[in-house]
Order: sequence, then C-alpha cells, then structure tokens
Amino acid sequence: MTEAPGAAWRLPPVWVLLVAVVLIVCAEVGGASMARFKLELTRWARGAMLARPAVHGLVGVRDVDERILDEALVKFDAGLRLFHMHAEGMGLVIIATTTVAATLARSGPTRGAIIALLTAGGAGYPLGYLVWAGLIPYHGLERGKAIAEWLVWIPFGGATILALWWLAGLVAWRMTRRDPV
Amino acid sequence: MKRPPLVVVLVALLILALGETGGAVMSQLRPALQRRAAARVNANAQAHGLSGSAEYDDEVRERAVYAAEAGLSFFHTHAEGLGLVLFFASTLVASVAPGRRIRAALYLLLTAGGLFPLGYAVYGVAVLELGRETGIELAERWVLTPLGSAAILGLVGLAAALAAARSRA
Repeated sequence: MTEAPGAAWRLPPVWVLLVAVVLIVCAEVGGASMARFKLELTRWARGAMLARPAVHGLVGVRDVDERILDEALVKFDAGLRLFHMHAEGMGLVIIATTTVAATLARSGPTRGAIIALLTAGGAGYPLGYLVWAGLIPYHGLERGKAIAEWLVWIPFGGATILALWWLAGLVAWRMTRRDPV
Repeated sequence: MKRPPLVVVLVALLILALGETGGAVMSQLRPALQRRAAARVNANAQAHGLSGSAEYDDEVRERAVYAAEAGLSFFHTHAEGLGLVLFFASTLVASVAPGRRIRAALYLLLTAGGLFPLGYAVYGVAVLELGRETGIELAERWVLTPLGSAAILGLVGLAAALAAARSRA
C-alpha cells in the first residue's frame, strides 16, 4: 500500500457535481413525497388502473380484481422506493467515480468519455424506476417494465457498467506502469 | 483531499463494477439463474436432504433457491454501498491519518472490509453446493464475519484518527 507523495484528488467538472447533487436532492424529495403523499399516489394509481381494465386483465369480479390491483400497487410502490434508493446511491457513485476519472485518466478524450458515461448512466438509470412506476397504471406490469428496460435501464445501466469497467481497467493499467502509486 | 494508493482505488472500483454488473445479471437472467440454482440443488441432493417426496423436495428446493437469490441481491446492494465506503473512508485516511504505518494498517483493514460483499456471493454459491444451513454457516463464519470485522475495525481506526486530528488542531 505505497502512497504517491502529495497525490491529491482532482474534482470533476462542476456540471457533473451539479447533476449528482440534483439527483440526490430528487431522491430525498422522492422519498419524502412517497411518505407524505402515499395515500394520494395509491388512489391515483388505483383510479388509473380501474380506468383501463383491459390493460390489467380486470374481469369485474371483486375477489379476482382486488388481487390484481394489489399486486400492481405493490409494484408501483416498489418502483418509487427503488427510485429513491438508487438515486441516492448513484448520486454518490457519480461523485466518487468521476473524481477517480478526473484524477487518473490522463488523456482528455478518454477522461471526457468516461465522465460523460458515468454521469449520464448514473443519473439516467434511477429514473427508470420512476418511469416504470408511472407506466404501470397505463400499460400494466410487464409492458411497463419492458418499456422502462429498453428505454432507460439497459442504455443507462449499460453506460455505467461499461464506464466502470473501463475506469477499473485504466487504473489497473496505471498500476502496472512505473508511475508512483 | 489526498488520494489513497491506487490499489485501494482499484478495489473500490472493482467492487462497484461487480455490484452493478451483478444487479444487471440478476435482473436480465433471473429465470436462467433460478433454473441453474434448482439444478445445483438436485445435483447436491444429499447435502440438501432431498427425500424423494415431491412436495417436501419442492419446498426444500424453493428455500435453497430463495436463499441463493438473496445472496446475489445482498451482494449487489452491499457492493454498491461498500465500494463507496471504501472510496470515501480511504480518502479520509489519506488526508487525516498521521504516520505511514497507521495509514497502511487502516488501508489494509478498509480494503479487506471492502471485499465484504464477496461474502454474499460465496453465500449464494455455498447454499446451493453444501446445503442451506451449512452454506450459510460457512459464508458467515469464514468470509462475512472476518471481512465485516475488518471493515468495522478500519472505520473505528479512522474515527480515532479523526478524533486525534481534532484534538491536535
């Protein structure tokens, strides 16, 4: 565990930090809103689902329909909760990983690409849970999930995963050179 | 803020990358993972105490698959958290802790602690290969407890270093 004398972190660009902080703020506000407006949100989702019986496979039999509605509402709530958790986490992931990229990626284009992927991926991915929750009342569980997956989770999650492995490879490569580590 | 040694940064990044990738794999390949897990339970019938009674065996299989999935899920969430803990805590060590030896000891403890989530990956595999109870015990005793203790010791050491820095100032 040798240290490079005087090695210090460099901050990522301010817009990156702003995106990360705004994401964390959204997570906090989302969490607070979920708690404060739980009843209103549930009523709205239930009303939207009842207005689209065919989408949710509602048959008009109370026992059957209530079970379907309950399952959809649990997933709706889970989508909001997962947005809250992932947005908090990914805000911090953006700050930490772009700091590493800003400090250790020497080539300008590489640094820019990694930072852009980490920021866009990290900020976009949690929004997929919000999109999913919003889509459930209108498109049903499976179709809502498929839309969120292809529109948000796969592109933005993929960007984050790609950038993280790229950055890890870059740090490993620097370790094999004779730079002070 | 000073930066910690590259090896510490690399471990933090690898844990984050593994956590992200694990989450994506869990989400995209869930049915395939469940089939594979059920097949491993069948292949280790004796370890799981399968009796040949379909109803009983199904319940045992379901519980083991559920435990393996829980292991993967915990791996994902803990890797995301502890990767960040290692990054930020080691940055504080680099910036605040006095003396090379103290810093090296804290880096070592925090880095070992950063590997804690791997214990849940072991948990997921061991449950399927050795049986639910034996697998969980193995992961807890030999991986989760030592690595978790290292994380706790490292963080306590960092807190002590911060307190000492405050009293010096």
